[in-house]
Amino acid sequence: MLSRSWRHLCRRYSQAATFRTAELSPAQHNEKQEGLFYTLNPDLCKQLFGHGGLPKSFKQQTKTFTETAIMVRQPALDLINCIRSSDMSQPAIRYVLYGEKGTGKSITMAHLLHYAHEEGFLIVHVPWVSEWLRRLPRHKEMVNSPTREGFVDLPIDAAAWLIHFKSQNQTLLKSNDLKISKEYVWSKREKTEEGSPLSALVEHGITRVKYACDVIDALIDEIKILSNNKQCKTFVAIDGFNSFFYPLTRLNTPTKRKVTPEEVSLTTTFLKLTTNDWTNGAIVVSADQLAVPDANQESHFPRYLLYKKGFEHLDPFVPIKVGRYSDKEFLSCAEYYRDRLWLRGPPEMETELKFTSACNPYRFMEQCAPL
Amino acid sequence: MSLVFIKQLFPHTKSFCVKLWNPTVCNVLNYSSKVTATTSSNVLNDLTDWETLSRKKKISKAMKAYLERSQEHDQFMKRQEFEYNIGKRHLANMMGEDPETFTQKDVDRAIEYLFPSGIYDPAARPLMKPPEEVFPARKAAEFDEAGRPHHFLFYTGKPSYFKLMHDAADNIQQLYSFQDKVLRKKATPDPNGSLNLSTSVWLSKDQLEQVLVETITDLEYNNFKLVMERLASLPHAYRFKDFIEKFRNPIASQKFALEIPKPSYDSDGRAFITTYECLRKKARGDVTVRAPGTGKITINGKDLTYFEDVQSREQVLFPLIFTGMQDRVDIECNIEGGGPSGQSGAIRWGIAWGLRSFVDAEMLQRMQVAGLLTRDYRRRERKKPGQPGARKKPTWKRR
Repeated sequence: MLSRSWRHLCRRYSQAATFRTAELSPAQHNEKQEGLFYTLNPDLCKQLFGHGGLPKSFKQQTKTFTETAIMVRQPALDLINCIRSSDMSQPAIRYVLYGEKGTGKSITMAHLLHYAHEEGFLIVHVPWVSEWLRRLPRHKEMVNSPTREGFVDLPIDAAAWLIHFKSQNQTLLKSNDLKISKEYVWSKREKTEEGSPLSALVEHGITRVKYACDVIDALIDEIKILSNNKQCKTFVAIDGFNSFFYPLTRLNTPTKRKVTPEEVSLTTTFLKLTTNDWTNGAIVVSADQLAVPDANQESHFPRYLLYKKGFEHLDPFVPIKVGRYSDKEFLSCAEYYRDRLWLRGPPEMETELKFTSACNPYRFMEQCAPL
Repeated sequence: MSLVFIKQLFPHTKSFCVKLWNPTVCNVLNYSSKVTATTSSNVLNDLTDWETLSRKKKISKAMKAYLERSQEHDQFMKRQEFEYNIGKRHLANMMGEDPETFTQKDVDRAIEYLFPSGIYDPAARPLMKPPEEVFPARKAAEFDEAGRPHHFLFYTGKPSYFKLMHDAADNIQQLYSFQDKVLRKKATPDPNGSLNLSTSVWLSKDQLEQVLVETITDLEYNNFKLVMERLASLPHAYRFKDFIEKFRNPIASQKFALEIPKPSYDSDGRAFITTYECLRKKARGDVTVRAPGTGKITINGKDLTYFEDVQSREQVLFPLIFTGMQDRVDIECNIEGGGPSGQSGAIRWGIAWGLRSFVDAEMLQRMQVAGLLTRDYRRRERKKPGQPGARKKPTWKRR
């Protein structure tokens, strides 16, 4: 028994792995590592993606594989290059990830988030916009905004996001360098002083869930100001961004009125962040077919998914296509699955799987599961 | 026919009755023409011809009954033949063709044209065939006028079948004795004599029944096969080659191997074959196979993602993977109608059909065995009134 497990271990770690790279820092990734997998530190993974950020099926797979391995792919490399070479004193550049279903937009975003974390960006990451606007768990809390007339608040979602924000930016928030520029009065007895650290604002939102949406609004304003003052550089990542522009949400007010995305206070807040009226930042959003209902998934191009409104809101932006696997990437992925004993059987299987999955990463993963 | 037969049966009687011109005997003999007594024979009628009477009495009841039946059948067949010929002439006139040169093939074509039928089973469609083909042949009389059977196995009930078995057993015995002689060097076997059984098979039960003009049971057919196998397996079976080959059918040769088209060449110098009319269920389309290629598949302008489900994609890929050509040819398809499984099935057949020109004979054989070159003619079965589906019956409920 012992010898067998020993043999397994030897086989797993001794062979010259052609699908894996030892370069664990995304900042160091370049064309040489293209198509190879790198492993995320589990602690860091928990910090960055503990509250969402990785697709559910991918997360299950990482649990099975007992590691979070991400493939270094061309779109992520391009984006890293762009961010690195762009002038930070200029208005923030918007990048739009687009591509067919299951080609790895979210994983590319995860890779970029890791990069941003390495580079010391302040991360503003929305894991999945539809979680707010389109997903209706049994107890979805929804209240009319007390401060803004005609708006709807999602306090619990907002508080959950603040926790996510806090855990992603632990180190930056702990250092207390980031100060608030003005005083925020929440009620007669509650207020946040001018010059108090940003973490105080976040903490307030988490403890006083009622004000969470307003806190996020204030937080976004503060982040923009801080970035403009070059006190921090900000990395904005919003997955499923096109959900903000789909004409309807699934939310209903207590009077059974349908809610449009513009009436949700979080929408206005994050749309404020994705304008290019601030500097020292990078904005990556993704346009995803899965973020809208089946009837509106005819095309995967941003112009269709973002509608005219969203397109004009983002314009000008840099479109970045996340495509299917190339041959090299496919073989590397198949080898990785074989290493994880996820894929077994004769080597001819790869050719067949390549055709049946049409090199689509998600389909490939799905089809390997029962093999 | 029956007339001729009876003439042979009664050679003496015939000469005798012609001499005497006895109308009663003549009626028995020449029954197909309704003979009425002629005036010249009236005189003779009055005479008592004892010999004839005593002979006449020898005709058994069974013979009489047979003669009657035979006459009836004969007349019936004549009438049918006459009607068939008239009908054929009518048909020829209707089709505006020459009645004299109108063959059975033309008849079939005309019937198909004039009475188009969508009935599934071809046997149930309207037909017009010569009466010999439509009505089964009958056995000739197996006994003489005294009712004594000709055949020594008549009382087995299946004389030809048991004669066959008898002969086969006899042949086996002969072969055994011949073998003994060879061992004792009293006979020499023919060095060139051989029996090739690989190119033919035993007659099927139906075919054997037709040859024997007798119905046989499954057990009897199995016995036939056993005995013949035993005979054929003996070392000097070539001595009864004629006997054995009477009961064997040649295997139909593989016809598809002959008509493989040669690929044409496009402007790039690449060989291509276009298969039109790729059909499956309600899907119709055409498939172009180009070689050499890189394994690019185009279906209605899209790639393999045209099909959402894995099963359909696998259907399309199966002939390519089976022949190992997935990286060596390009496929272009135009397909419409039906659903994904019908469309993928049609493409699968089209690809396999087109690949015939690019593979060797051995692979062709394997493809044929794998069922790649077989069209799937199954169609959707209609819903029946009174039940929820084609076969599904309503849920049974006590009340």
